[in-house]
Amino acid sequence: MKLLSRFLPALLVLVFVSHPVSSSARTWTSTDGKKLEAIFEKLDGEMIQLRLKNGQSVKFPISRLVREDHEAAERFSLVGDDAMTVYSAKKIDYLLATNLGRNGIRKFNDRLPDDLFVRRVYLDIIGRIPTREEFMKFAESARKDKREMLIDELLASSGRTSHLFNYFADMYRLKGSGVARELDYAPYLQWWRDSLNENAPYDEMVREMITAEGNIGHNPAIGFLERDEGMEFDAFSNFGQVMMGIDVSCAQCHDHPFEEWTMADFYQMAAFFGQTQRSTGRYAAAETGRSMSVGMPNAPKNWSSDFRKYAEKNGVDFKDRRQSRSFGYFVGALGLNVTDNEAIEIRIPNTIDEVGGQVMSPMTLYGDNPSGSSMSRREALAEWLTSRTNERFAVNIANRMWERAFGKALVEPVIDFPMDWESHTGQPEVLKFLGQEMMRVDYDLREFMRILYYTQAYQGYSTFDRPVDDGEHYLFQGPVLRRLRAEQAWDSLLTLAYGADIDNVYGGDGSFLKELMNVDFEKDSMEDVFAKFEAYRKTRNLGSKILEDKGSLVAKDPQIPVVNGIQMLRASRIAQPAAQSSLLSSFGQSDRMVTDNHSYDGTVPQVLALMNGPVTDRLTGSDSKVVEDLSQFDGPDDMVRGVFFTMLSRYPTEEELKKGLSIIEEYGEDGIRDLSWALLNTPEFLFVQ
Amino acid sequence: MDIKELAGNSDQSRRQFIEQTARASLGVSVAGSLGASLAARAEEGKEKTTPEGGGKAKSLIYIYCSGGMTHLDTFDPKEKKEVMGDTEVINGNVDGMRFGSHLKGVAQQADKIAVINSMSSRNGAHAQARYQMMTGYNQRATIVHPHIGPWTEKYFGKRGDLLPDSVIINRGTSNSGYLDPAMSPLPVANPEAGIANSTLTTTEERFAKRMDMSLDIGKNFVDKYQHYASPKGYVEFYDQASRLLRSEELEVFDLSTVDDRDKYGMNSLGQGCLLARRLVENGVRVVEVHCGGWDMHNDIQGSLSNRLPPFDTAVSNLIADLDTLGLLESTMIVVGGDFGRTSRINDRGGRDHQPAVFSTMFAGGGIRGGQVYGSSDADGRRVGDKAVSVEDFHATIGYGMGIDLEYAIYSPSGRPFVFGNHGKPVTSIFS
Repeated sequence: MKLLSRFLPALLVLVFVSHPVSSSARTWTSTDGKKLEAIFEKLDGEMIQLRLKNGQSVKFPISRLVREDHEAAERFSLVGDDAMTVYSAKKIDYLLATNLGRNGIRKFNDRLPDDLFVRRVYLDIIGRIPTREEFMKFAESARKDKREMLIDELLASSGRTSHLFNYFADMYRLKGSGVARELDYAPYLQWWRDSLNENAPYDEMVREMITAEGNIGHNPAIGFLERDEGMEFDAFSNFGQVMMGIDVSCAQCHDHPFEEWTMADFYQMAAFFGQTQRSTGRYAAAETGRSMSVGMPNAPKNWSSDFRKYAEKNGVDFKDRRQSRSFGYFVGALGLNVTDNEAIEIRIPNTIDEVGGQVMSPMTLYGDNPSGSSMSRREALAEWLTSRTNERFAVNIANRMWERAFGKALVEPVIDFPMDWESHTGQPEVLKFLGQEMMRVDYDLREFMRILYYTQAYQGYSTFDRPVDDGEHYLFQGPVLRRLRAEQAWDSLLTLAYGADIDNVYGGDGSFLKELMNVDFEKDSMEDVFAKFEAYRKTRNLGSKILEDKGSLVAKDPQIPVVNGIQMLRASRIAQPAAQSSLLSSFGQSDRMVTDNHSYDGTVPQVLALMNGPVTDRLTGSDSKVVEDLSQFDGPDDMVRGVFFTMLSRYPTEEELKKGLSIIEEYGEDGIRDLSWALLNTPEFLFVQ
Repeated sequence: MDIKELAGNSDQSRRQFIEQTARASLGVSVAGSLGASLAARAEEGKEKTTPEGGGKAKSLIYIYCSGGMTHLDTFDPKEKKEVMGDTEVINGNVDGMRFGSHLKGVAQQADKIAVINSMSSRNGAHAQARYQMMTGYNQRATIVHPHIGPWTEKYFGKRGDLLPDSVIINRGTSNSGYLDPAMSPLPVANPEAGIANSTLTTTEERFAKRMDMSLDIGKNFVDKYQHYASPKGYVEFYDQASRLLRSEELEVFDLSTVDDRDKYGMNSLGQGCLLARRLVENGVRVVEVHCGGWDMHNDIQGSLSNRLPPFDTAVSNLIADLDTLGLLESTMIVVGGDFGRTSRINDRGGRDHQPAVFSTMFAGGGIRGGQVYGSSDADGRRVGDKAVSVEDFHATIGYGMGIDLEYAIYSPSGRPFVFGNHGKPVTSIFS
């Protein structure tokens, strides 16, 4: 019995996944039947370049390979060879399965049929439903690797960036305005979009944010440090939540309730930002603690007052409240300028009796303390955080990316998971492996997500045969059922109203403001800077605030299509966050006040928007796109199927087909409207199965 | 063979093993079923008793100042100039009640107001503080606690037929915590616009036909995912929305027909308070009116001159109008926020977070006006006298509404929760 119990898990594993393969290179076959084991490197016109096992690269016409290899090469040319991807995905499946077996769950959820699969990967990877055409293309494809092909295509598309941006916007509380002073954060938002678009390694992005210097024109990544300007301790708490997965905000006022950290530990780690000057204005002096004012970094002494004099001489009337205010905003925005200043130092607030008023020296909450080098405090912190020995940093982002794919994190809550996380997850080996993988792929989030999407566990049905939240750790026999994020709902409605072209509509990119703020205080003449102020003032006069798109319209003037009064801009490209009264807010988009503040809760206003809202009108009104599209179909059967493909991206069941037919036979073209409405308003529309 | 060997040595894995075995062989979860049956038993045995002296408040309007309203410049002004900055002190219409100089209107309603100046919380971060002020419980990773609206709907039963029992104004979303999603408050993101998309785009007959077809086709999906609350919840929301669309009560939300709407102030708080009054007049039990912008770390005087006048106008008119309508006795108005703010004005002219002591305000629903309960110290930094915790604050609301503070409501996992998390109500502010 003892023996059997030891072997039982292993036996169970064999039932549903084969052991991970050790060899990872693809075997390529030439048209005359020769075999070659090699890793894909690139496609160069008609030539393919492969890397052999001995490390040598070979280049030859692709026409010499069999058709199946052409398909593989086409796919790999998008996001790279999949040898390691497949290997890692299998390893994850193996680890999951072993543990599931140990817990009496004998198999993953059944594999999703093609139609449900295509809807899920569109929503998960690019954040919107597929159009009918996109659905058909996949359904009709006979390629053996069509699932991998679709995953890779979507991962290589701009939609991936859009959807991932929404995730980080929530996590990093990205706001276009209303943060520090009157600064327009468009360049920082664009920095996120660009970095994700280039698939910049996540650890590099983090290092860039922590060590950024200058103002938003010099380096838009300073947006991270300016997010909580004037609130150093909140800034540090937010840093802890997103970058370490540790919520230390409680330790501002009392010791951490579960971990061993004290208030002193909190303030010691916060001291890594203790000499970070985020703005011109007043700070506590390092020596005395007395309030002192700091000037514009990297500028001649008294630059600000000299510039004011120059402005006055050149016609700015400081007695006029509006003129004086807009000048203040401009100089204030220039002054949201990050630099390290040894003359200042944050102190423990006086409200805390025991240690109030003390200056702390920087010390990390765990691990080796970075010390004794020529690096600045923030550089040292960034180095420590993203070091290959800091497993927690890798696990933190891996756990979050897993949550994106599976709808639930391996260890929760993601903003504050225990230090001994291994004993707070049902799948410790998997999480450990994911942390290693995150480092192996060098924080390439696209490749990391690709691994997850390739797993058998991911490609199964969402668990429906048992409760997922029953108080025990969920073991991931498959993903969990998820309601669409607000942004997915919005982007999907836009897809229905306007089609896949919404992927190619861009709003403002902040480049205009970035240009205005990019002042070299040493070299630029007062005249140059004043010209920038004039341009800034003119933009502001367009409205009460320079909003993200407004500020940039001047520079780029993007053409944004409008349907039924709604700009056809994806959620990632409009104001961040959208207005409280918008559909996005109603579907639970985060207000960006705190990390991960989105909501998946249903409400009556959401339902009303789907029943009677502008997009519904577009579908069911007189100029219905769906009707226009489907009325050219010959048979009513095809029309009904077409409505199902458009709205739910799936085949109707026999019964559903009959119901659809009866309505179309009774009402003709109008029946298409009714059926579209009915499908849009089934709860199924709002979920990823 | 013993379980220890089979399941490994830790308690955790042993427990997991027992559960898994039970689940596999019986199809049940031990914790769940045990908890639920205990819960059922406990609930059966317990009678609800209305607390003595409480229960006059049939409705609640909870005005919430997100970000943390300064107590010093509003309800708890101090003598010291260095604490007060530019804010002056004015007297209320009752001896001994003093207010910050921006609250001129509220000061004239002092005879109907009870102020608690000894509130104290342990949450100095916004999200956690707000969570506790809204629910009476500390935020936990494992459960979401309901706001007062869903809680009271569960406790008292659904009151209205067509209108929801609770409404949240100036918020785009809401939830019901661990209670049935159908009890979620109706969010009204913009009171000036009323309820968006509330006009049918087709005939009622056609609408009904479409709705039927939708429910019919949707049934498979909802049944399949029966273990999740959310799809079922949507069926409820469709039901609620369909009924609301056809009801005349929908007009309550339309403020455009109200004659003196601008006296509350044409801003989100003013119109929110007006809408709250109309909802209460029509039987809604709990209305939350949210108003943001109180996180005044920079230039507090500038910020206050933007925030406080609209606040003063809205709140004073609300109290006065409910009184005129004869509804003040049955409607409790409560003002709360994340926490208070520091007595030291910081380098940027602002005040920072201070949970150690702050103020809340009560009016109506059995409150005896013209009194201040508890105090802070001379600088408003610590509780001086009679500390009131956030739990006590919630218990006080519950007492006013007539809730048995020992009556447990159970979460789906079988955990018992009482209103106010065992706080002690401040009964002396009631008449």
